[in-house]
Amino acid sequence: MKGLLEGIRIIDSTTVVAMPTAMHIMGDMGAQVIKVETHTQTRGEGGTFADNIPPDSEYWNKDGNFHALNRSKLGITLNLQDPDGVNTFKELAALSDVVAENNRAGTMERLGLGYDDLKRIKPDIIYISNTGFGQTGPWRRYAGIGRMFELTCGLSQFTGYEHESPRRVGRFFFDPHVGWTAVFAIMAALHYRNETGKGQWIDLSMYQTGASTMGDVILDFAANKRNGGLRSNRHDSIAPHNVYPCRGDDNWIAIAIESDIEWNALCQAMDDPSWTHDDKFSDAFSRWQNQDELDRNIAAWTRTYDHVELMDQLQAVGIPAGAVLNGKETLTNPHLKARQFYEPVTHPPESGMGTRLYHGRPWKMSDAEAHIRRPAPTVGEHNDYVLGQIMGKEEDEILELHEIGVIGQEPTNPRPANQPVSLDKQLDEGSIKQFDFDYQSQLGITDHE
Amino acid sequence: MSDSALHQFRIIDLTGGIAGQYGTKYFGDYGADVILVEPPRTGSSTRKTGPFLQDDPHTEKSLLFLYLNNNKRGVSLDISTPSGRDLVFELMRDADVVFEDYAPGHLESLGLGYEQVRALNPGVVFTSITPFGQYGPYRNYRGNDLLYYALGGMMYTSGSYDREPLKHGHPQTLYMGGMIAAYATSAALFARAATGLGQHIDLSLHEVMASHHYAAPLMYTFTGAIERRAPKLESGSTKGTGFEGIVAAKDGYIGPTMQRGRQRPPFSVFADMIGHPEIADPIFETPAGRQENSAELDAAVMPKLKEQGKFEYFEKAMTEGWVAGVVQTPEDLLRCPQLEERGYFHQLEHPVIGTITIPGEPFKLPASPWELRLPAPLLGQHNQDVYCTELGYENAQLKLLRQQGTI
Repeated sequence: MKGLLEGIRIIDSTTVVAMPTAMHIMGDMGAQVIKVETHTQTRGEGGTFADNIPPDSEYWNKDGNFHALNRSKLGITLNLQDPDGVNTFKELAALSDVVAENNRAGTMERLGLGYDDLKRIKPDIIYISNTGFGQTGPWRRYAGIGRMFELTCGLSQFTGYEHESPRRVGRFFFDPHVGWTAVFAIMAALHYRNETGKGQWIDLSMYQTGASTMGDVILDFAANKRNGGLRSNRHDSIAPHNVYPCRGDDNWIAIAIESDIEWNALCQAMDDPSWTHDDKFSDAFSRWQNQDELDRNIAAWTRTYDHVELMDQLQAVGIPAGAVLNGKETLTNPHLKARQFYEPVTHPPESGMGTRLYHGRPWKMSDAEAHIRRPAPTVGEHNDYVLGQIMGKEEDEILELHEIGVIGQEPTNPRPANQPVSLDKQLDEGSIKQFDFDYQSQLGITDHE
Repeated sequence: MSDSALHQFRIIDLTGGIAGQYGTKYFGDYGADVILVEPPRTGSSTRKTGPFLQDDPHTEKSLLFLYLNNNKRGVSLDISTPSGRDLVFELMRDADVVFEDYAPGHLESLGLGYEQVRALNPGVVFTSITPFGQYGPYRNYRGNDLLYYALGGMMYTSGSYDREPLKHGHPQTLYMGGMIAAYATSAALFARAATGLGQHIDLSLHEVMASHHYAAPLMYTFTGAIERRAPKLESGSTKGTGFEGIVAAKDGYIGPTMQRGRQRPPFSVFADMIGHPEIADPIFETPAGRQENSAELDAAVMPKLKEQGKFEYFEKAMTEGWVAGVVQTPEDLLRCPQLEERGYFHQLEHPVIGTITIPGEPFKLPASPWELRLPAPLLGQHNQDVYCTELGYENAQLKLLRQQGTI
């Protein structure tokens, strides 16, 4: 079996979350993705370090966030302030199928690396620019930070506890979604190139990507002049549809009943308590009308059960129920394990990072390989390989580029490592639930000598 | 039309849910011939899902269905009858892609599974979207968006410290799942150009959310710590509390931050930007000082923000390079000058719904652009086209199948 995208070469000149996500997926699928770093700003900023301790050397090569999103890539450094750096980029582009970047509109043009510049060298190049708001329009220069698009795309209008104000959900909603959209856009352009021999410049906008998921509510205003409001965890036509407390500290179960059959099954699972016979809950309409009381009654019942055991019991009789899992529980979840969703990556011994589990992709293919190909590159790790083997430069030429500072294996201007807050303090503040000293053995990622 | 990126592909769309129909929508939008196959009489389940035109839950008035199914043709067919099965099999035999969202094993039991189609169509890319995938202990578990937020880990870290975990008020898993199904299918088609061979794609919606929410498991695999919901008002938090969360403006909500480009300037610079230099205070100047005095800081800033119009704040902050957001309503989106200048909205003519504005492309593909070619099909609108003109059934046969309820 082969990867789906073997033979495709991509320059990944991107940072943060959205586009690195797109690029690692294409790397997982077998494309040769070459990360070109022009600075080191996103390295170490995540501050996710082994045992929560900043490494005493080369912390920029050891940040878990960087590794999660930049696996399956080769990595080179190029100083794009130097004309030789720009020329090297162009030479590499001439040998590539796709160039991806996520600078603010206009930045790449100023460097001489815009679409028109690269098209002259490689006429069928596929060039994708991801910006917050697109390359044109009055907002084109606005900052495009992932976590703000939840608000600006309209999702926050509906998100929050009823009678409160809107809330964010998750850390950087839309970033990965934008990455997935980028993969689709690049694939569409590759199909077009196969047919016509032509490349093009894809203008991807995070704002439009997010707004495109809100089509139904946009049409609701267009047709019915309705703006909607906060929905808690509820549904606009079915009940119960909420999250209920379970035994232990901060454990919860989600239950969503879509039909009378499921409702009857739930009543049986609850041992047919008398309140369920009340007219207030006799059909879908009354359950929806009386869902505050319904939720209280169900919560009183779920409270004594283990959240995972109760899910298994309810699902066994056809009731849609799901335990609310935390970061440890997803990693150790038997279903995700059976599907090998998290993939172990063993880092080189000199990194001191050991073996860690990284998220995979939400699909399996019957006849193609998709997996994490290699750990994320250290700064400039593949300078010699890419410039020598792929670009055919002589050893002394590469050495010279190194000496004049066009390439390098150390960041020239590193920001200090993000100092993680100690786990004791986080526990104290309540931003973590607990920490396990033996987490590696619990996950089965202990390094054996 | 030959200028569109995906015009060479024919997709048989057997999906009834949002994820599948959102995925095939992008094939249609970029030129593929998508044929949506719906159960006769009731149609897809998305036809029964709101919002509806004038709140009328009529088969042809679901605005959700309308949005998801533009640029597709539609036929009706009961695939559980032998004649219906044979008909859909004929369609699948000649298709480049089959999209389906039945429970695992259901199509196989009808003789319409991947192996059965592949035997006659080795190039078929067969994309199956299910709650938990085709195998594994939860294979037969029921799923829906709320459950994916729960089991994917996203909810656990979202919401108030002392309240129940919270999901988005809109089924985002399904939209993400659709986009992922679309890219995976497109990549499989790309590989097919070299090998001639297709692929069975097994997409799990549960794993869509687990993929999105990778950060909490990442924290555990690196540190052994279990992230939970935000404890309290916390300056600099991205968790939705404190003045850098989502706060009230005069006419709605905004997302202010102290971040300008990649910097966090002194507070006095921010106070100047919002037009209130008088609230600057040495104790707020540094990030550490703001963290320590976050309650006082919120008390000083939030009333000032509440005096500002939400777009007034957003446009000023963004123009000056600050990171900011504004909670837009659907109405705001429809009136957005940025979307307007980018030509994002289009006028659609639909025989039942009339003229309506719909959102367009998530990205510009200038050489092979997004196009609005067809309004969403009426139930069974293209039966004659597909069954008679393309598959060669006689009109009399079509009439019989209709009378018998197969079509």
